[in-house]
Amino acid sequence: MTSPVWKIHRNGLFWLLVAFAAVIILHADHLPNWILLAAFVAIIWRIQLYRSAWHPPSRLIKTGLLGLCLAGLVAEYGSPVGLEPMVALLVSAYLLKLLEMHHRRDAYLVIFLAFFITALDALFDQSIGNTLYIIGCLLLVLAALLGLHGSDGNEGQLRPLGKAMTIMAQALPLMLLLFILMPRLGALWSVPMQQQSAKTGVTDTMSPGDFSRLGRSGELAFRVSFEDAIPSQKSLYWRGLVLAEFDGRTWSRSSLSRFQDSNLVQWYGDPPKSWDQVVDRKGEPLTFSVVIEPTQQRWLYALDTPKPDSEGVGLTRDYRLISAHPLRSKKQYRASSWPEYRLEPQGLSSQHRAVYLQLPEEFNPRTRELANRWRKSVSGDPELVSRVMALYNSEFVYTLQPPLLGKHSVDEFLFDSQRGFCEHFAGSFVFFMRAAGIPARVVAGYQGGERHPDDYLVVRQYDAHAWAEIWLEDRGWVRVDPTAAVAPQRIEQDLQSVLGDETDFLADSPVSLVRFRHIGWLNQLRLQIESLNYNWALWVLSYDQIQTAFLRNLLGDNSPWRIALALTGVGGGLLLLLGVWMLLPRRSERSRDQLDREFLRLCQKLEKAGFPRQVGEGPRDYTQRVAGSRPELARQLVEVTRMYETMRYAGETPDARTLARTIHSLRINRSG
Amino acid sequence: MISRFRQFFQHLYARWLAYRLPPARQVQLNTRSLFIFPSRAGFSFLLLIVLCWLVATNYENNLVFGITCLLTAIFVVAILHSFANLSGLNLSCSRVSPGHAGHPLTIELVFHQSGKRLRENLILAFAGHEPVAIGIAATEEARVKLGFVPASRGLIDPGRLRVASLYPLGLFKVWTQIDLDIRCLVYPAPQTELNRQTTVSPVGGDDGLIVEVFEGGEDFTGLSDYRPGDSPKRIAWKQFAREQGLYTKHYGSAQDERLWLDWDAFPGLDTEARLSRLCGLLLSIVPLDIPYGLKLPGLIIAPNITDSHRLQVLRELALFGLPDRGGDR
Repeated sequence: MTSPVWKIHRNGLFWLLVAFAAVIILHADHLPNWILLAAFVAIIWRIQLYRSAWHPPSRLIKTGLLGLCLAGLVAEYGSPVGLEPMVALLVSAYLLKLLEMHHRRDAYLVIFLAFFITALDALFDQSIGNTLYIIGCLLLVLAALLGLHGSDGNEGQLRPLGKAMTIMAQALPLMLLLFILMPRLGALWSVPMQQQSAKTGVTDTMSPGDFSRLGRSGELAFRVSFEDAIPSQKSLYWRGLVLAEFDGRTWSRSSLSRFQDSNLVQWYGDPPKSWDQVVDRKGEPLTFSVVIEPTQQRWLYALDTPKPDSEGVGLTRDYRLISAHPLRSKKQYRASSWPEYRLEPQGLSSQHRAVYLQLPEEFNPRTRELANRWRKSVSGDPELVSRVMALYNSEFVYTLQPPLLGKHSVDEFLFDSQRGFCEHFAGSFVFFMRAAGIPARVVAGYQGGERHPDDYLVVRQYDAHAWAEIWLEDRGWVRVDPTAAVAPQRIEQDLQSVLGDETDFLADSPVSLVRFRHIGWLNQLRLQIESLNYNWALWVLSYDQIQTAFLRNLLGDNSPWRIALALTGVGGGLLLLLGVWMLLPRRSERSRDQLDREFLRLCQKLEKAGFPRQVGEGPRDYTQRVAGSRPELARQLVEVTRMYETMRYAGETPDARTLARTIHSLRINRSG
Repeated sequence: MISRFRQFFQHLYARWLAYRLPPARQVQLNTRSLFIFPSRAGFSFLLLIVLCWLVATNYENNLVFGITCLLTAIFVVAILHSFANLSGLNLSCSRVSPGHAGHPLTIELVFHQSGKRLRENLILAFAGHEPVAIGIAATEEARVKLGFVPASRGLIDPGRLRVASLYPLGLFKVWTQIDLDIRCLVYPAPQTELNRQTTVSPVGGDDGLIVEVFEGGEDFTGLSDYRPGDSPKRIAWKQFAREQGLYTKHYGSAQDERLWLDWDAFPGLDTEARLSRLCGLLLSIVPLDIPYGLKLPGLIIAPNITDSHRLQVLRELALFGLPDRGGDR
């Protein structure tokens, strides 16, 4: 159907370019600048091509541009694996293809690429605002597809958009049905991760400066709804990671703590492991549900001491929660926590003891020496802890801009600079404890969170925190937060109350509305947007968890594959029935055909008698002509024609049998 | 082998079409007459949906999943819109302008709809012809003229008209192949390049226009006894064959203003070639404004000059010797 030389018409090109620009802008925040520039050039070039002002790129130039794009991508990203390079590659293909539309199928490719690239943006940002923008982009791309098939002309310029809106609106009910019912199968294979987001959030190592960097960001980490009231601010310690290994500069997870799927994780629904007996949970648990932003990592956050209440979540040997898969998108999970607990009060195994007392020999001699001296002069471990806390309280400064530290980082912090952020306090405290012979470990996570008027908690990156846990005889693991000794408001209120005036606070989120908390109406607006986004995340973005429960209630405990198969079967069956019903000829249609057949028989009869029907002769003209030359048949012919016409056209109930009888009774002799 | 298979299936398809969509003067486009199937772009779109689904599943991203559902729903809704672009139209052929074999003639089609819906980008084509894209404005009736090049003279059936549409999204092709029971009256292809003997030229004379058509005059006036020296071309072989003796045919000089388009003027040519030449001759005579008649085997039309006479002559040329004459007139 396509003619060999195909040229896009003005309307089609207009919508194609509008959609192109919208899709590029959608991705602008994670595309290199040179691609944006190239996209701009591509648009200009495409317009000039349409006006025949410029030539299409020759094969040489095309190859050159392709090479340039690839080289640019390699220079930008290094490795081609990862989400951003893949998207950038697709976008380059998209803008090169724009210059190479010789056939209608090229235009289809451009438009389908636009659909796909638009969909990919949802991997980067799933907020309501971005979702609305994505829907707008889809609408424009749909309009571009419509523009390819509509007619050209000035008066119809906006018609594709109108039609696209109609189609989209009509597609909405079916879309909702599919979204609600289609089962999610879970990841089929591992896919390249986003590189960018690995830069924010708590990581599995802690060096001086790591947490102060997080203090610069107002980005969302997770939101929590409690079944009952939100506990007091200073008890909100969101345990994420346990860091036990120290190499002189960096705290990291010990080999013990890198549990994968060994005996050291107790998944939700599994029978209790033997080590679960060593925790002594008392009182009523707090039940809460967390919606966490994608971190590309497996660890989750929960209050001490937790138990998972969701599928795919497990409890580790060091009493943290982890997810079965890396968090590629927002995830919702439920957990219970017992704030009153005793962790391993019976004693540590020698292996664990060794891990939690490990220190590199050649670092921080001054701290070791002080620890040894104090160890001898105090009567017990609690007294040693109070002495260290008193030291922090008297001399130290809590700041987001600590000075840089050299090789003996703990020594320099404790004796020289005495200025630091939570990682300095937690790190030096654990070092001190270990040097004094008390098993200790660093716990990393978040502390506190903002209470939303809608009764849930918003935890942001600047709430990231590190504290210590030490093991005391008969009491087990006890949480000690040295930051609380130096800056109690940090724990009781939040970071802003302490460091809100420091220039580094929220430095990475210059337009964050959190900044303007003190302006009443802006704060109201911020809270409302925040609430909208939370509900969006709760009901739509983590819908699969809701769906799993809902389908299980509906269909029993089936695997998603079986549900998918059943749904496809039922859907396919319904479609098949619909098809059969539509293909079966209608009753009236069938009898109408019979009428035509009978009339055709009459024509044959008359033709045999020497009166063939002529070109363009209607039934009435025909029979009248025959009646004119055979007056003896006139009465019958008029009767038959009247019968046929009223049944066929005037909506009278067709009765083919009567017509057949009348025609049959017609006796016509050959004329002449 | 493959081509035989294809032929077989094409034959089957044609038979099935003849059964499902029998020839009719007026055809309504509806579920019975319209066919719909995903186009190549439609299948690519399905591939796009699968790709999006894979991304949604592997990244466990409900937003991408939602977009996948939206694309799927759009695909389904597109079926209805594609169908609606053609459905409800009544097609009939209102007029066929006669033409000559090998030359385009126009077939005027009427699109009639009870509602007033805009129909965009309908693609119309007779088999073997360039498709024509048209839009139908939001009116109850629209007329569309379509070119058709008949291969031969006679009462020609242009075959099935293919009406197709890719609108609105190009994901589905909706089409029908209807037989509107059209008969085109096709005159022979005019052969204007006659031969050396048969130039037609107006020659000025005392008593008006004289047309010198054939060497030696144009009208048969009578027979005389054969004398040696007479041209063998003028021997009346017919009479000789009947053993009535040897005669020479005599032709009058070009005094007679009436002109005969004579079948016998082209000895040695086959039927079609003669008809083509007669037709070409006719076309060149008409502007000269002189009466002309037609002599065909078994038919003589007396010379005349009116328009209806011209049409009758052309009609006879078109239908000469064909079994299907579309009835007597």
